[in-house]
Parts: sequence; structure tokens; C-alpha cells
Amino acid sequence: MTATPHAATPSALPPVETPESQEDMRLLVAGQWQLMWWRFRKHKVAMVATAVSLLIYFVAVFAEFLAPLPRDHYAADYTFAPPQRIKLILEDEFGNREFHPHVLGYTVEIEAVALRRVFKPDPEQVIELGFFVDGLEEYRVLGIFPSRKHLFGPKDPTQPFYLFGADKLGQDLYSRLIFGTRISMTIGLVGVALSLIFGILLGGVSGLFGGTVDNIIQRTIEFFRAVPAIPLWMGLSAALPEDWDAIKRYFAITVILSILGWTGLARVVRGRFLSLREEDFVMSARLDGVAELGIILRYMLPSFLSHIIASVTLSIPGMILAETSLSFLGLGLRPPVVSWGVLLKDAQRVQVLATAPWLLIAAVPVIVSVLALNYVGDGLRDAADPYSR
Amino acid sequence: MSNSNHNAGADILLDIRGLKTYFHLDEGTVRAVDGVDFTVPRGTTIGIVGESGCGKSVTAFSILQLVEKPGRIEEGSIVLNTGGQNRVDIAALDHDSEELRQIRGKDIGMIFQEPMTSLSMMYTVGFQMTEAIRLHMDVEKDEARDRAIEMLQAVGIPRPEQRFDAYPFELSGGMRQRVMIAMALSCDPMLLIADEPTTALDVTTQAQILELMQQLQEEFGMAIMLITHDLGVVAEMCSEVVVMYLGEVVEQADVDTIFHNPQHPYTQALLQSIPRLGHSHEGRLNPIVGSVPDPYHRPSGCPFHPRCTQIITGRCETVHPEISRLDPRHTVRCLLHEDPHG
Amino acid sequence: MADTATPSAPAAGKEPLLRVENLRKYFPIRQGFFGRSVTQVRAVDGVTFDVFPGETMAVVGESGCGKTTAGRCLVRAFEPTGGSILYRNRDGDEVALDALDNKSLKPVRRELRMIFQDPFSSLNPRMTVLDIIGDPLRVHNITSGSELEERVADMLLRVGLRPEYMRRYPHAFSGGQRQRIGIAKALILSPQLVVADEAVSALDVSVQAQILNLLQDLQAEFDLTYVFIAHDLSVVEYIADRVLVMYVGKMVEKAATDELYHNPKHPYTEALLSAVPRPDPRERSQRIVLEGDVPDPAHPPSGCYFHPRCRYAQDVCATETPALRPIGDGHEVACHLAEDLDLRGITDLVPRD
Ligand SMILES: Nc1ncnc2c1ncn2[C@@H]1O[C@H](COP(=O)(O)OP(=O)(O)OP(=O)(O)O)[C@@H](O)[C@H]1O
Ligand SMILES: Nc1ncnc2c1ncn2[C@@H]1O[C@H](COP(=O)(O)OP(=O)(O)OP(=O)(O)O)[C@@H](O)[C@H]1O
Ligand code: SF4
Ligand code: SF4
Ligand SMILES: [Mg+2]
Ligand SMILES: [Mg+2]
Repeated sequence: MTATPHAATPSALPPVETPESQEDMRLLVAGQWQLMWWRFRKHKVAMVATAVSLLIYFVAVFAEFLAPLPRDHYAADYTFAPPQRIKLILEDEFGNREFHPHVLGYTVEIEAVALRRVFKPDPEQVIELGFFVDGLEEYRVLGIFPSRKHLFGPKDPTQPFYLFGADKLGQDLYSRLIFGTRISMTIGLVGVALSLIFGILLGGVSGLFGGTVDNIIQRTIEFFRAVPAIPLWMGLSAALPEDWDAIKRYFAITVILSILGWTGLARVVRGRFLSLREEDFVMSARLDGVAELGIILRYMLPSFLSHIIASVTLSIPGMILAETSLSFLGLGLRPPVVSWGVLLKDAQRVQVLATAPWLLIAAVPVIVSVLALNYVGDGLRDAADPYSR
Repeated sequence: MSNSNHNAGADILLDIRGLKTYFHLDEGTVRAVDGVDFTVPRGTTIGIVGESGCGKSVTAFSILQLVEKPGRIEEGSIVLNTGGQNRVDIAALDHDSEELRQIRGKDIGMIFQEPMTSLSMMYTVGFQMTEAIRLHMDVEKDEARDRAIEMLQAVGIPRPEQRFDAYPFELSGGMRQRVMIAMALSCDPMLLIADEPTTALDVTTQAQILELMQQLQEEFGMAIMLITHDLGVVAEMCSEVVVMYLGEVVEQADVDTIFHNPQHPYTQALLQSIPRLGHSHEGRLNPIVGSVPDPYHRPSGCPFHPRCTQIITGRCETVHPEISRLDPRHTVRCLLHEDPHG
Repeated sequence: MADTATPSAPAAGKEPLLRVENLRKYFPIRQGFFGRSVTQVRAVDGVTFDVFPGETMAVVGESGCGKTTAGRCLVRAFEPTGGSILYRNRDGDEVALDALDNKSLKPVRRELRMIFQDPFSSLNPRMTVLDIIGDPLRVHNITSGSELEERVADMLLRVGLRPEYMRRYPHAFSGGQRQRIGIAKALILSPQLVVADEAVSALDVSVQAQILNLLQDLQAEFDLTYVFIAHDLSVVEYIADRVLVMYVGKMVEKAATDELYHNPKHPYTEALLSAVPRPDPRERSQRIVLEGDVPDPAHPPSGCYFHPRCRYAQDVCATETPALRPIGDGHEVACHLAEDLDLRGITDLVPRD
């Protein structure tokens, strides 16, 4: 029997010709991630949204540097001080105009009727601004390198600088929003990471083994999905012990959020497993003698990793919104932790809003980040299967 | 284009000239139909053959102006002669004019390659048929219903009154195809365009449907434009054949000429490459080398030249052949048959 | 090579490579909340045949008759419900495929390979051609590294592709080229038996011929035995030595190709043959148009499954199931009236006018 092919014997068969140009060669040898990137790149909105999302995460990482003031710096004198307008040109007494970014300090008057303090810009008090100025306190970049520098701020750090106004403790809303970014954006990530672990494990088990296990897991998922989300979260977070510190509470909230989050991902994972099991190329691998684990790791996982990434991205905004709502209701994170939801809670009461409408600015980063991540997720989902036409 | 004297005697129902339909995509322009000319005589069956992607379906869609974005009819005329001096150029009609709507379904019926494009799974067969009938004929609901049931009967569906209320998913593939034919014929069109009507079916079911189409043609006298890649079906059904390759008509002739005296190297090669029942002892098959190029890489010159065994080296790579008329009913697009008079 | 491409019918006395006896595969139909099994689809219901070394055994029939299911049972992609599959391995030992567990199946998987119908879904789009074709070698610990690359390059040449293609991904190839890759993958382990399920059905007509020729060349080159599953009778006549006809999960007829095509003994075979459109307008056949549809295998008719559509049916056909029986010359048929009927083969079909 001469069945074993040997390298030496040339074949009688002519090689099939395909005319191709040099530029196509790139496409021919492109792997899935390359193809996905090419496809994603065409999605203009998603590209912009990606830039925005990356910027937001950059803010979260370098909050100390970007915020002019430390997180908990307060000044009772400036309770509900309104936003200052940045002026670029300074005109001196001789009428010379010069480029000098600055804001104006405040004069305080007590309004006769309502006995309220009213802040007015004081043209006499020029507070000069600068880039890379020294701040009040030392902090550590990435928790390692000590520094006092801030991207921009008043040249004299003791002078008041309220770009977005102040809250009732005279804290700078602008700085606090920047610090809030860190908590709000990471709670989405950590929550999704937890969901992902549950989702992949349970969804994978469900899809792979099928039968009774699958039945039980599916019914559990259906149960969880039937429970209305907000009341469940509220009930669970209301049950958290009052004396837990900020860190414990933070992690407890992420766990609470992922209790519902995993069900969606588990469904995606299970669905992918079930459909992939029927694919011819998986059966072909099985007939090659590839062991079950190898089929999962080398054939199935790469086929749906991209889909998982897309689903994960799409579920982060939900987490951010959930944290914001819980904190807004006073059930999520609490001061001194700063998140967008915590900041919005200050804007809850009508009287407060009447005096300090700028506190609502805290809603803007929520909306921007949720939209951006949604667009990124949409783009990823469209690019996730580069082999479909 | 060439003059139409040769058609003087025949009664032409549909006259397609210089039809070009392109798809403008990010990756480039797909010239799906790139200069197609042919005529459909009244009451005959004309076959359009060619391999996958050669533009058969797009031609059919163009005739009804159903080409979807990013596709567009770029050039050409599609003249429908509905009788006497009543000529209308479909290609020149507005996208959703009333006139065009009347032509679709009324003068020209179509069976689509993808059944889903014309049959909705959400509505009953009866509902869809009566809607189509009432769109084109001035009849009451009851009359439309009677007409629909009559058509279902005509296409050989047993117990048509009951099937009238069935949903398409409750029917077998063959039944569904019959319903599609019934729908396409319910307004008594002059031309039936059937795009791969039997490709998804088994041979025995295919035999039923082909038989049915022949019977219906005898009964109603409509012309049929049969699109298929199966040369067997063409030989059995058609009186005239149009062979397409990469969006062009490479040869057109009566069926006997195509099968027994083909002149274009592609037609010849195609016929030699297929296994034939009862001829298996005649040695190996004779395949065409290579495969159909992808639409973004159209070869220069004669589009068939990379696969042609009779290539005139030095000419076929650069010169795009024009249509030559070998005799009144036989045209060919190949430099071997170049018209000496240009 | 052309002359040796079609191996002659099996020499008498040769031991069969594969002996399939009364193969059955039933799929449960589940319904309701808890997925109780209600009835069964008898997708394959009692199929018996031998395959001899070097021959091509074709399985034909219409959609849903159980061809794919039968083929997948042979390579143990499906667990058969009943029956036996005896396979003679390279060492000459007969192993019962139906009884092997996954571990003892592995060595057999080297000798028993499958070619898939759909050249698009059967290749993992995320692997390079090198990995796709070479993976079986790695899995069976045959070679790795540069030797593996050499083997793959050689195999690519043999299926008519350039070795440089091996760094590419499947999306870079046309349907016909992908099918060549699928064939290379099946043959890289030097198998004895290859089950080809509709290996050319998805291809363009001009490419179909290339692949059919290739399959024949490779058969001669590597001494392959094929089980060739198809619904296109013209293709089968060209490639097969013997043909088995199935109808609704049952075998209705089996014979050498010439015999079956010229002298069919089952009314269904006759109708099938007559229905094949001939690519010649001068041979316009008198097709036999069967009434009705192929029955649902979950609810087959009584007696002979073909009786509601058979134009020769008698009373007995509706009540008694005809057994498959030999009628000489290796010809087997399951019809009560096999000896009494004078059926038309492909040569007797009279031109229409
Ligand atoms: N909607 C579309 N967008 C882009 N390209 C298209 C579209 N529809 C068709 N094409 C291209 O037009 C060409 C002709 O396609 P068409 O569907 O007419 O082929 P066909 O001859 O009907 O083939 P088949 O036998 O596979 O049905 C192909 O190259 C195809 O890729
Ligand atoms: N996994 C399955 N579960 C349930 N029923 C199945 C399954 N696979 C196949 N069947 C049924 O078994 C019957 C035979 O199917 P099979 O795919 O073997 O037919 P086939 O002859 O290969 O048809 P085709 O020509 O369409 O490929 C069909 O009725 C089909 O619905
Ligand atoms: S023009 Fe040239 S390449 Fe084209 S078909 Fe004719 S001979 Fe062949
Ligand atoms: S047994 Fe009867 S019904 Fe069945 S094929 Fe033979 S004649 Fe026809
Ligand atoms: Mg088409
Ligand atoms: Mg099948």
C-alpha cells in the first residue's frame, strides 16, 4: 500500500491559478482580529465613541492630576458658589490687552428679603490661572509617583476656583466630577467582570452539557430576569449593614449589580455554544480526534470571543446607569466616596436646585459615557463576525 | 446596438438592449450586469444560464426595476410590448410610478430564487394571493378569493380551499413553489420570470414543477424566462437560450444550436464539463480550469480569457469582443467570430 | 491515469472493508416544557451494505431520506440506534465501530475520514489553511513543526493548490478551492475509507467537474475507498461502482451502477432516473411525474412506504412491507413486484417526438 504521501513526487495536477494583486495579499492572510478591526474602522460613530470612551477612562486614571483641587477639599465660605467664567484676555488700567487666562473672585452680599448669600464676580479680584501649577496637597500618580502638579488651576492654590460651581460644602464640582469618573467608570468594569465570570461559567456549562443542568440554569436565569431590577437592587442594597466602610460597600454594590448582569451574558454564551456545536467545522474537528477541551478552547472560544467582548461593552452602560440610580436614591455609594450618582444626589431637592442649578452638570458625564459605550458596543457587535457578508 | 431587422417577423414581447446594472460598494463597483442584450418572443420559453454570480438574478430584478441599493440600472432599455403599438421602456419608468406597479405582477409575474422575498410567513397563502390579485385587477374580495382558489387548483394543489388558509411554513418545499407559481400567474401575466424555480427541490419534485410550468404555458400562453444554472433543465424546457458569463451575454441561440453547435468557447467548455446520464463511459470529465473570478477582479479584454483554451494570445487579453451575429438567431461575443465588417 | 481512474467492480473473494448490517438511527422528537420524547423520526431504518476496498459506493435519494444521517453514523459522528458496523482496519482486524468508545475510536478515526458538503461552514474561518489541514497530524501525534508543513505543502499540491497558500485563511478561497482544502484535510492522515457527503453539490457546474476528477485521481493514487453520498444521479453514474437507493430512511434498491441505471427494479428508482433532466434537447425524456410529496419520516405510510406514489401499487403494497431481497447479480430490491415489472432504465426512455 502506497498510501502515505511523500514530499518528493510531483503531482500531475496543475496548480489552480488565481490572479491577484499585491494589495489583496494583505486580505488573504488577515486573521479574524485584523478583519474585525478593518470592519470596525468603517463605523465612524463607533470610532468617535471609542475615542471619547478612552478619554473618559484616561480621566478616571489620572483624576488627581486633572482635577485642580483635592477630592475632599472644602471651604465653607464658598457654599453654593456659582461657576466662574474663564476669561482669556486681561485688560490693565492703561487699556493694554494681554493674554492672561484668569477668573474673577467673588464678593458676597446678603440678600435683604430672603437672607440668602449671593455671590457676585468681583472685577477687582483677578485669580490668574496656569498650566501645570502646584496644588494644595501632594498626591501620587497611579498611586506610585508623588507629585503636586495639576494640569491647570489657579497659580495660587488658596484662591477660589470653581469652574462648575460649588456644592453646599463649598467643594469644587468640577474636581469632584473628575474623581467621580473613577468610581462610576470602574464600577461598570468590575461589575461586568464579575458578570462575565458568572456568565461564562454558567452559560458555558449550560450550553456544553445541556440536559438537566441546562434546564436548571435556564430556569434560574428566567427567574432572575422576571424579577424587576430596580426593586431587587434597592432591596439588596438597603440590606447592606450601615457600618460597612466605603470599600466594602463599593464591592457589595458591584456584586449586587452583577447578580442580574450575568444572566444576559450567560444567555449569549450558551447560545453561541449551542450553535457552534452544530457547525460543520466543529464536527470536523471532532472527527479529527481533537479532544473535547481542545474543541472548546481552540475552535469554539475564538469563534465567540469577539461576540462576548461586544456584549460586555454593551452591558457596561447599564451598570453605570444602575450605580447612578442607586446612589441617587441614597442606596448605593455614599459620601465620602464620590461617584456621579452621589453627586447627583445633592441635586435632589428642589430648593437646592433653585439656588445651585449647576449641580445638574453631574448628569452630563453619565449621559456622555453611556452613549459613547453604547456606540462602541454597537460597532463591536457589527464587526464581531467579520465572515458574514 | 445592431439593427432589429432580424426580428421583423417574430413577435417580440420584451426587448432588452445594452442593459447595465452596477452595484457601488465600498470595495469597488460590481458590474453585475454589463451590457446585456436579448429578446423574449411572445409565448416561448427562454433560458438564461450561467454559473453562480454571473448576473442572472440581477438581470431579472432589473427587468422589474427591483434592484436594491447600492445597485442601480446605469444604462440600457427594457422595452415591453404589451400588444399592438403599446410599447413601454421599463428602464425609463420612475421607481415607484403607478405604471411600473401595474407592470409588476400584472404584465410580468416573477418567481424569486429566495422564496422568502415573495412569500411572507406571517400571512396565509390566501390572504397574500387575494391582496396581489386585488392590487392589479378590479375585482371584489369574493371574486379574488375564487380566482386564488382556481389558481391553486391549476397548479395542482390538492384541497385548495383548505390550503387557502394555510401559512406558507405549513407547506412542503414543492407546495410552496406551486403557491409561488400560482401567485405569479394569478393576474394572467404575459411574461413569467422564474429565477431558479427548482434549484432547491428534489428531482422528483422538480419534475412535477417543470411539468406544471409546461402545462400552464400551453394553457395561458405566457412567455417564460427561465433562469437556471442547470443545463439539463434548459435543454428540457427552453426553445431559446442565453448564456451569460460575468454579467455579459456570451452566446444566444435556439436550444438545439446551443447544445449541438455552440460557438463560444465558454458554452462549449460548460457543455463538456458536465456529467451526462448514460455517457459515463466516455472517459474523464473535461472541466474548465480555474474558477469564476470574484466580481472586484474582472479580467481585462475578454472576461473569459484566463480560462479560455482557444485564447488568441495577445488579443483576447486586451480587446473586449463585440457581439457578432452568425445567423439571424445566433449571436456570439468572441474574437474568434469577429464580424469582419466591424 | 485516466484509464485507471475508475476501479472496476470489486473482485470476487476480496474481503469487504466495511460491513453495515441493519443500521438504524432514530431521532426522538421532543415536545413540551420538560422535553419529553414523544415520537421518533426513523431517519435511517435498516440499511445493509458492504463496501469493498477500492470501490465507490454511492448512496442516493431525495432530501430527508437519511443519507447524511447514515454517513455520519459510519464515521461515528452520530451514535447509531441499532445495527452493526464492522470495519476492517489496516492491520486486517475487524472492529465493531458501533461498539467502540471514544478512546478506542481515535486510531480508527485516522483511517476513516469525511468530506463535508458545505465548503464554507466546514472550515474554521479563524484558522490558517496550514492549521486546518495539519491539525489532524498534530492531534494524532504524527508530526509537527517543519515536517508537518512539508506534509501539508505536499498535500496542497496533490489537491491542486499552491503550497504558498497555506498561510492564508479560508475566506481567501473560492468555493471550489475550499472544497480542495476540505479534501486535503480528509486525506492528510492517509485514510482507507472516505465518506463524502454531497462533496460537489454546493459547487458551480464547471468546478464540480474539477473536483470529481480530483476525487478519482486521488482514489487511484492512494487506494481510497469512497462512500459517496449524493442526490445528483448524473454525478453518481460518473463516479460510483455501486449504488444504493434510499427512500424515507429505508433501502429500496442496491446494484452495480450500470445495472441499476439500465435495469432498475424498483419503481422509485425508475421515477428518479426518468426525472433527471438531460442536457440535450434531442433527448427530452418522458419523465415519470410522481404524485404528492416525499412522506414525513416521523409519520411514514403503511406497508411499502412508496405505495401512495407508486403507479404499480397493488393491494398488498399498502399492508405489507416489502423486504430487501436479492434478485441475482448482486442486485437487491425491496418491492413486492420486482420480478413482474418491466421498468425503464436510462436507455429505454423514448425521445418525446
Ligand atoms: N445586493 C447586492 N450587493 C452587492 N453585490 C451584489 C448584490 N446582488 C448581487 N450582487 C453581485 O452581482 C453579481 C451577480 O449576482 P446575481 O445574483 O445576479 O448572480 P446569479 O447569476 O443570480 O448567481 P446565482 O446562480 O448564485 O443565483 C454577483 O457578483 C453578486 O456578488
Ligand atoms: N439531529 C436531528 N434531530 C432530529 N431529526 C433529524 C436530525 N438530523 C436529521 N434528522 C431528520 O432525519 C431525516 C433524515 O435527514 P438527513 O439529513 O439524513 O437527510 P439527507 O438524506 O441527508 O437529506 P439532504 O439531501 O437534505 O441532505 C430528516 O427527516 C431529518 O429531519
Ligand atoms: S474572445 Fe478570446 S478569450 Fe474570449 S472566448 Fe473568444 S477566444 Fe476565448
Ligand atoms: S412494493 Fe408495491 S408500492 Fe412498493 S414499490 Fe413495489 S409495487 Fe410499488
Ligand atoms: Mg441568482
Ligand atoms: Mg444531507
